[in-house]
Amino acid sequence: MLKRSLIAFGIILVAAGGTLAKKEPAVSASASKQKQLALVRVNVTGQSYDYFRPWQKKAPFSKRALGAVLSKGRVLVTADLVTNQNYVELERAESGEKTAANVQVIDYEANLALLEPAEKTFLDGITPLEITPDTVVGDRLAAWQLEPTGALLATEGLVTTVQMMPYPIDVGQFLTYRVSIPMQYRENSYTVPLVKNNKLAGLLLRYDSRSQLLDAIPAPIITHFLKEAESQQYRGFPSAGFSFFPTRDPELREFAEEKGKGGGVYVTNVEPGTPAMKAGLQVGDVVTAVGNHEIDQNGNYVDPLYGKIEFTNLLTAHAYAGDVVPFHIQRNSKPMQLNVTLEHRDAKDYVSPPYYLDQPPRYYVLGGLIFQELSRQYLKEWGANWQREAPQRLVYFDHFQSELFPERNRRIVILSQVLPANSTIGYDDLAYLTVTKVNGRGIKSLDDLAEAVKHPIEGFIKIETEEDPKQIELDATQVAAEAPELQENYGISSLQRLQ
Amino acid sequence: MKRIFVIGYAALLLASVSYAQDSTPAPPPVEPQVPGQQPGASRSTPPGQAVVPVPVPIAPPKPNGPVQKSLVRITATSVEPDYRAPWNAGGLQRGVGAGFVISGNRIMTNAHVVANSRYITVERDGDPNKYPATVQFIANDCDLALITVAAPDFFKNMLPLKFGGIPALESTVSAYGYPIGGERMSVTTGIVSRIDFQLYTHSSVDQHLAIQISAQINPGNSGGPVMQDGKVVGVAFQGYSGDVAQGVAYMIPTPVMNRFLKDISNGHYDEYPDLAITYAKLQNPAQRKFLGLKDDDRGVLVSSVIPGGPSDGILRSGDVLLAIDGHPIASDANVELEGERAQFEEVVERKFKGDSVKFDMLRNKQPTTATIKLYKPWPYSVQGHSYDVRPRYVLYGGLLFQPLNLDMLEAYRTTDLRLRHFFEYFILEQIYLQHPDVIVLSNILPDPINTYLAPYRGAIVDEVNGKKVRTLDELAETFAHAPDQLVIRMIGDGPPLVLDRTKVEAARERIKARYNVAKEQNLEERPGSGAPAQANKI
Repeated sequence: MLKRSLIAFGIILVAAGGTLAKKEPAVSASASKQKQLALVRVNVTGQSYDYFRPWQKKAPFSKRALGAVLSKGRVLVTADLVTNQNYVELERAESGEKTAANVQVIDYEANLALLEPAEKTFLDGITPLEITPDTVVGDRLAAWQLEPTGALLATEGLVTTVQMMPYPIDVGQFLTYRVSIPMQYRENSYTVPLVKNNKLAGLLLRYDSRSQLLDAIPAPIITHFLKEAESQQYRGFPSAGFSFFPTRDPELREFAEEKGKGGGVYVTNVEPGTPAMKAGLQVGDVVTAVGNHEIDQNGNYVDPLYGKIEFTNLLTAHAYAGDVVPFHIQRNSKPMQLNVTLEHRDAKDYVSPPYYLDQPPRYYVLGGLIFQELSRQYLKEWGANWQREAPQRLVYFDHFQSELFPERNRRIVILSQVLPANSTIGYDDLAYLTVTKVNGRGIKSLDDLAEAVKHPIEGFIKIETEEDPKQIELDATQVAAEAPELQENYGISSLQRLQ
Repeated sequence: MKRIFVIGYAALLLASVSYAQDSTPAPPPVEPQVPGQQPGASRSTPPGQAVVPVPVPIAPPKPNGPVQKSLVRITATSVEPDYRAPWNAGGLQRGVGAGFVISGNRIMTNAHVVANSRYITVERDGDPNKYPATVQFIANDCDLALITVAAPDFFKNMLPLKFGGIPALESTVSAYGYPIGGERMSVTTGIVSRIDFQLYTHSSVDQHLAIQISAQINPGNSGGPVMQDGKVVGVAFQGYSGDVAQGVAYMIPTPVMNRFLKDISNGHYDEYPDLAITYAKLQNPAQRKFLGLKDDDRGVLVSSVIPGGPSDGILRSGDVLLAIDGHPIASDANVELEGERAQFEEVVERKFKGDSVKFDMLRNKQPTTATIKLYKPWPYSVQGHSYDVRPRYVLYGGLLFQPLNLDMLEAYRTTDLRLRHFFEYFILEQIYLQHPDVIVLSNILPDPINTYLAPYRGAIVDEVNGKKVRTLDELAETFAHAPDQLVIRMIGDGPPLVLDRTKVEAARERIKARYNVAKEQNLEERPGSGAPAQANKI
């Protein structure tokens, strides 16, 4: 219910400039025997897909970052860093030696990825970082960056808060450390490890230089990710599929027949097909405990490490897809227990997928009309302020998708734009229309559309839209005849991509 | 013709200003020296504006005569309703505009000069007196009003102005009024730049014919006559502020003025009727062929027919309109009227409530005709500004419930996605059929009984105790005969809002006293009218 407040999304710490004068560190015989830092530089070049020209990729970007070296020759970075990568390279900080690397596992929701060097011996001599999961409020963490020389630049900060917060891919909330820290700008600072007693405590998620507040992906989330990464098939963090509301309001408590001063949260919505619905959770139930943890009226449980924290932490950091978690509920003032088998909800299981990364967008070009499927990734093409800048009707569809499209098993096909051509004269101003039917057939995906287009009505392709003008017609023969010219004029490599 | 709300369309138009009214971002048009303005609104002479080259006026072919004998300066004190504290009277504002005498001892001016007014005075050239005036007729949908002065001698030496026609493009016109920069009458000259349909920002939902002129027009010109050859050819009414576009000003042309005068000739202003349809141009050859049209550049496609509107049951989505009252409709939606091309709705524009309009059309490729009896469908009023009405609201347990409309939305500057959607698609998605009033829990006056209810702010009421609530009156009725427990369901996935009647009753006086609430509800838009807000059949 509560709108989460965000600070700056992601972080790109830019080099402050200056020369990269080669300075050989004065290494004494004894120092050379010192442990090498468990950090490598990570150089990434990549290309994002262009959702406004879905047949092409945008200009390449490059990012320089750090990776934390873990056991078994793995390097931990944020998913942000390697999303839409073309080429990833690891670089030894002290020697500048380089090797290519593969992305082994990536979790966009938790913003974590594991890299492995192509050359197995590349990380030899580095003692991997261990992970310390016990950071609490009041601890001091060091942010590890590298000087151009390869020397360590450590900045210390204070953990001020541990709480559930949204991550850049806004799917649920995850445990987050908030650290008050005066970070310095250095090259390679995209992914910054946070270290306590020489053990990895977290990874930088975002940093706001004005307030000097850093949010970090905490060790418990990293551990969860690593454990899951060991399994045959990475499944991602689990979810239960319901929304809830505090029971502080005495009138709501009375309505929910919650007697006394007990805790619990009021279930406001259970999404169809989710673990919560399969387990029989209903709107109006009051969830009083998850596992052995009692939930208070605000939805918090008492964590042995952090004290009060939202109970959703029990369903993310502490649980895995496939786990059966007992929910203790009150229904009509009777206590009940429901066993919820948690599942990971894949991005493709949404009507408007919350993210669509490392894969090309689907589209279909028909005589200058461009059809695409609505996704938050498409809306994010409007920039950081997309929620205000993108077409508001589409933002509304995305935001309220579970309410508006409860059947779930579909996509929203939109006529996203019109390229002027002979076949589209008079249609040039159309954009962001929701397609309902093509040639009389219902459209719930681009595949439906591609199939329906093959069945013209008396030589015409009739497209019906939810919004005005309600109907658009094309001459099927003309569309086919003009296709090569359209491709040539607008540089469209392929008229469709459905895979 | 009504503007169908289109996302992204507003930005440009909101920047245009209504002269003589206190609207941003124009410099304050209020009389600079008037003391006793509302707090915080200390008015001083507008900051020195950048000096821009003034186009050399071209001498008009014929002098316009002693316009001073027809022109009046109007000072109106108005009360702007406060949609955030609707029980209050609202803020006092004072604005200056112009007007001109027409036949029958009447003064024509803009509706926005006198809308919401409580007291009006007029002055004339060479007369030190201020004469109290009263509004006779006001047409907020076309921004025109008629006022009159009771003083018997006032009109004695005044010359009523006569109306001309639509001036030709590039012909010279002169605008008269009392814009900022001085106290006395000002004249500026320019040419006719464009004749087209424009949004009238006073209601911000109506579009009519308007003429763009290049004469410098500024706050205070509003309501003043624009003259050519000694005749009025328009009323200056709106333009863009200097930071949006330079030298773009609009006047209301005589067809709109004449229509207004004819409408009120029966003693009542009936407003513009509307077809309540949306349409699309038919310029695509394939689409024309599909619809069975000839290659003759004629016809527009009916997209949506608003249920309950005048065309409901007569026109259908997919019909092709070929002619209106015998005037062929071109595929770009224009007709030729008296030698001028204009959008085909101009034919409807010139009609009155109860008149009919006849279409020649094509349905399923078969020629047919349709006759539509015109009236004004009410849902459009939700998307436009309202004037001279009291905000409707119900306050219960410190919870303020208000119907969604443009004034309320602007007062709260809401960015709520759902509220904006319900507003923008109120007509196109026929939300008004289920929710004639979209009842919003717009504000909460904090009290111990509602201390946990803040998250419900901005929610839309769907049902109370299992019964759908369609209007604010129904909600007030429900509260008046409330059972012990009220369970209010909001639209969407949120929790129900639960109230205990006994506790609400106990808190009533406390909340009223603490927040100085004079009245806990207002259900009538016009005090004493007693007419329900949606008396029409739609």
